[in-house]
Amino acid sequence: MKLKHSLFSRRQFLNGLLGGWLGALAASFLYPVVKFIFPPYREPDKVILPFSDYEDMGPNSVRNFPWGSKPGLIKKEDDGAYLAFVAVCTHLDCNVVYLAEQKKFFCACHEGWYDENGLNIGGPPPRPLRQLIIEREGENIIVKREGVE
Amino acid sequence: MNLKKIAAEIQAWFDDRFGLSAIFKFLREKEVPQHRHSIWYYTGSTILLLFGIQVITGFMLVFYYKPTLEEANKSIARIMTEAPLGWIIRSVHFWSASFMIAIVFIHLFSIWIAKSYRKPREATWMSGVFLLLISLVFGFTGYLLPWDDLSLSATKVGTDIPRSIPVVGIWITKLLRGGEDVTGDTLTRFFGFHVCILPVFIFILLAFHIYFIQKQGMSLPLAFENKGKKVRSLPFWPNFVYREMIVWLVLVGILVTVAIFLPPSLDKAADLMAPAPEGIKPEWYFLFLFQVLKIFPAKILFINGDTVAVLMIAVAFVLFFFLPFIDNKPTERKGKIITVVAYVVIVFAVAMTVWSLL
Ligand code: FES
Repeated sequence: MKLKHSLFSRRQFLNGLLGGWLGALAASFLYPVVKFIFPPYREPDKVILPFSDYEDMGPNSVRNFPWGSKPGLIKKEDDGAYLAFVAVCTHLDCNVVYLAEQKKFFCACHEGWYDENGLNIGGPPPRPLRQLIIEREGENIIVKREGVE
Repeated sequence: MNLKKIAAEIQAWFDDRFGLSAIFKFLREKEVPQHRHSIWYYTGSTILLLFGIQVITGFMLVFYYKPTLEEANKSIARIMTEAPLGWIIRSVHFWSASFMIAIVFIHLFSIWIAKSYRKPREATWMSGVFLLLISLVFGFTGYLLPWDDLSLSATKVGTDIPRSIPVVGIWITKLLRGGEDVTGDTLTRFFGFHVCILPVFIFILLAFHIYFIQKQGMSLPLAFENKGKKVRSLPFWPNFVYREMIVWLVLVGILVTVAIFLPPSLDKAADLMAPAPEGIKPEWYFLFLFQVLKIFPAKILFINGDTVAVLMIAVAFVLFFFLPFIDNKPTERKGKIITVVAYVVIVFAVAMTVWSLL
């Protein structure tokens, strides 16, 4: 049955209502499922490391630190400054090494190369290595992401 | 009352309830055509056999395996050294997986080249493509479970590939990894995929796949369809089954021999913080993909090279899935182009694989 000026019949209206209701019901079941299978993001804002662990590094050398579940690298420059990198290849996520003699970072997965400042210079990596901000605070080194207080 | 009568009554009792006689009748009357190319018919059942071996050895391994960051590698070492005959069980599981994938590829290309996917067998082909996909994911998830350096790096790369798909990619990566990065959670999740989620899907798809084949009967080579020649055929039961059993016995012989003489190794447990080891390689059936990713330039025009590679692979896969609708010529046409494409794909994959090994 359809009223004179109505755009749809009573049947269509009720079907629409029922369909919409079923859809909403399905969504309310699906939402917690989807929510559940994606765990919250876990990268740290910053890590605090004792300076004494990194004080004795020679120039042009690196030392590991844990950046969440990824490896981080602290690198001492020839002039004594410190840099911090996330030691993960920007191509497909393999962990990189620093080859001190060649002054390059190397990723063994698909032979990706980065120069001493983390700039991608060879192989498949599309971007430079991710740099972190490194600061000295009294006895500690603070390594943090860009834009973190 | 004699035994025969009792047996007949028991049979009747079951038949009344389950109607099995229809199935038995079908199997008694099923015929398998005999011709020059009937050797390819055996690939299907050998895949089933190897799959069965995977299920049984999988059940056994799961009694000892522990899917956690701390225990995974140790528990496999225990299987290899302490569990009675454990090393053979693991080795058979490992080799049977490779054999199965290899025969799946042969099965696939024999059907492709013979054009057996044409009407009315489109759904058989498509369910087969999904079975192939699931088999590959089985292989991929299983590779991580020993949790050594190689498998960790291979998994990092493999799960990072979807990330270059625009919009949805990052969510696929997170879903697979159970977070942003590959961690112990990824291992547990992969174990869940490998022993729980994928088996459910593969059994359902397999049921459909086999049902379709029974429904439509064996496909005939084009030569016979064209000439309308009368084809000799063999009763499925028992003649064809006996022949299959011979093939199975030989195959199991080869499998066990290889498994005993070339057991898979186990490296030290993976360290999430360690640099990737030199010479990481995925399983052999992913080598061609691995090589493609390696030689793809970082940037093509302004687009990320990997995005291009992944999108190309995705398009190829969709075309492959819809092959029965792209090549929808009537059964008697030869379809030379499609045959040529099949050979090009084979040559490409083999060439890439060999290159990656150099
Ligand atoms: S993951 Fe580093 S080069 Fe591919």
